[in-house]
Amino acid sequence: MNASGTFGFGEEFAPFVDLNELGALVVKGLSWEPRQGNPPPRIIETVGGMLNAIGLENPGARAFIEEKLPFLRQYDVAVIANIFGETLDEYPRVAEALSRAGGIKAIEVNISCPNVKKGGIAFGADPDIAAEVTRQVKTATDMPVIVKLTPNVADITDVARSVEAAGADAVSLINTLTGMAIDVESRTPQIQNVTGGLSGPAIRPVALRMVWQTVKRVSIPVIGVGGIMRAEDALEFLIAGAKAVQIGTANFVNPQITLEVIAGIEGYLIRHRMDDIRDLIGSLIEPDSLEHPHEP
Amino acid sequence: MIRNLQVAPDHYLLELRLPAEFPCPEPGQFMMVRLRGRDEPFLSRPFSVHNFRMHRGSVSLEILYRVVGKGTLLFSRQSKGTILGILGPLGRPFRISSICPTVVLLSGGIGVAPLAYLAHRCRGRNAGGKRTSIIVYAGARNAQSIVGIKHFEAVDLRICTDDGSRGFHGPVTALFERDLCSYDPEKTMIYACGPPAMIGSLARILEATSFSCQVSMEERMACGVGACLGCVTAVKDNGGRIRYERVCREGPVFDIRDLAGLKTDPC
Ligand SMILES: Cc1cc2nc3c(=O)[nH]c(=O)nc-3n(C[C@H](O)[C@H](O)[C@H](O)COP(=O)(O)OP(=O)(O)OC[C@H]3O[C@@H](n4cnc5c(N)ncnc54)[C@H](O)[C@@H]3O)c2cc1C
Ligand SMILES: Cc1cc2nc3c(=O)[nH]c(=O)nc-3n(C[C@H](O)[C@H](O)[C@H](O)COP(=O)(O)O)c2cc1C
Ligand code: FES
Repeated sequence: MNASGTFGFGEEFAPFVDLNELGALVVKGLSWEPRQGNPPPRIIETVGGMLNAIGLENPGARAFIEEKLPFLRQYDVAVIANIFGETLDEYPRVAEALSRAGGIKAIEVNISCPNVKKGGIAFGADPDIAAEVTRQVKTATDMPVIVKLTPNVADITDVARSVEAAGADAVSLINTLTGMAIDVESRTPQIQNVTGGLSGPAIRPVALRMVWQTVKRVSIPVIGVGGIMRAEDALEFLIAGAKAVQIGTANFVNPQITLEVIAGIEGYLIRHRMDDIRDLIGSLIEPDSLEHPHEP
Repeated sequence: MIRNLQVAPDHYLLELRLPAEFPCPEPGQFMMVRLRGRDEPFLSRPFSVHNFRMHRGSVSLEILYRVVGKGTLLFSRQSKGTILGILGPLGRPFRISSICPTVVLLSGGIGVAPLAYLAHRCRGRNAGGKRTSIIVYAGARNAQSIVGIKHFEAVDLRICTDDGSRGFHGPVTALFERDLCSYDPEKTMIYACGPPAMIGSLARILEATSFSCQVSMEERMACGVGACLGCVTAVKDNGGRIRYERVCREGPVFDIRDLAGLKTDPC
């Protein structure tokens, strides 16, 4: 499937991708009220990746249901709604409205966004607040709830365990890593927001390591996200134990990358004479003497 | 890549052969171009269509570009035979008026790229019951860096340079402002592409007039198709409220009166 925020609402990519061929389609993050987003420049390319500070621009959940969802209902693809809130109560509100809309299969909860009441610290930075968001969303919907974790924490597995205990049906990781870049000639930040989220191949080793650690500590499915540019990259996440993968920034480089990765995974399974992808998932052959898996 | 010719210091003319079924772009539309199989640089770069020709079952696209950073530097080092990734045509094109027989084009530097294709497509047309006449104000730093004007044959070409080494000594907007009263706002469509300062001073010149002016804008882009929301520019609605629109989707061509937060000319 694609990663949220990199595939618009599907219609932007429909000219390039038969949306029915995707495992699932994740839409751009939705809040209750429409959001205008940050002033430009919002993006800058960096080595092997890009920084973005879009500022969660979106038309709001109601406008999404009226204007964007009818297009997606024409397809036979599982639509996952990515949601976020500025306050704790916004999350269940958005989740409930989307559950009732019809045509959505699951909710993905973005807890990387700033919590306005807590001075802008991300909901996902604190395991207890992350759990509270999860509980609230779970009570607002009967759909599967995927919690999308931020890597900008001391130990992502603590947050993963905490949201699992609060009822999350799956976790997806990672969201972007906070970074910044400066134009040295003008001594100004490259993006107007000063800091932004790093995505793309540069973050893949970090994402892979976090997925591998998280798989060991939770029993719910883990969805791997971060820097997947080709089938081999997706295979790394599956071998590390991810049950599914999401492709983000790579869609910008090659709008057909999602389908090419699916074909590449199939080719790999045939070459390795595997009938079932479950034989591959979590099949990492680890050295016997791995005593301190969490330290480099 | 059929050719990648240096036409001036730091300026190149790239010609690509495309599959015969490639859709014909409208003036003002752009292409996302990338070197394939590399993670660095990694995103595609947007370039306007400078020319597009169909001949004997094959189609060729011309891009005129200036080297400003790592992506354009790498493009400049490629030669005939290199295969590039192309996505397009993208974006909303210039609107060509059927009632304005006078077309005024203002270009600053590499901004000439999309306007040359527009001139090419306007030439020989009729509008408002008259043959279209095209007046081009082409600005550059100096005589050496004037590029892309070969398509302006048979048009009224007024060259301006910052250092006075050719044509009018000063910005295109200054020469245009001097000529302004010779144009009829009802019968003239103005098109512009150039650096932010030029667009800013053009907006100021036109503010008290009723001329229509379409501007091609630039912003950094990632996807080019409206999905990442990375390329927005500030626009104002009728009530003066500011909102953001995507340069790749609602643009790159905007009505100059809709643009907000334009930089005004320092000089
Ligand atoms: C719709 C559109 C049409 C364009 N048409 C042309 C054209 O016909 N010919 C041409 O030479 N250039 C054109 N540009 C600008 C061109 O895309 C940039 O110059 C190019 O992307 C720079 O890439 P780089 O890797 O060399 O520079 P980088 O190393 O990425 O950056 C160098 C400098 O260029 C600036 N820059 C980066 N991307 C853009 C961008 N998309 N627009 C403006 N500035 C940018 C950066 O902020 C920085 O100051 C167009 C841009 C847009 C949005
Ligand atoms: C431009 C952009 C916008 C994004 N918007 C969202 C969003 O709205 N919600 C969200 O949960 N993640 C968002 N993300 C994060 C991605 O979904 C993904 O987690 C991250 O980019 C890492 O994957 P990648 O390296 O494959 O891009 C966005 C990423 C980018 C680059
Ligand atoms: S470049 Fe992605 S929305 Fe315009």
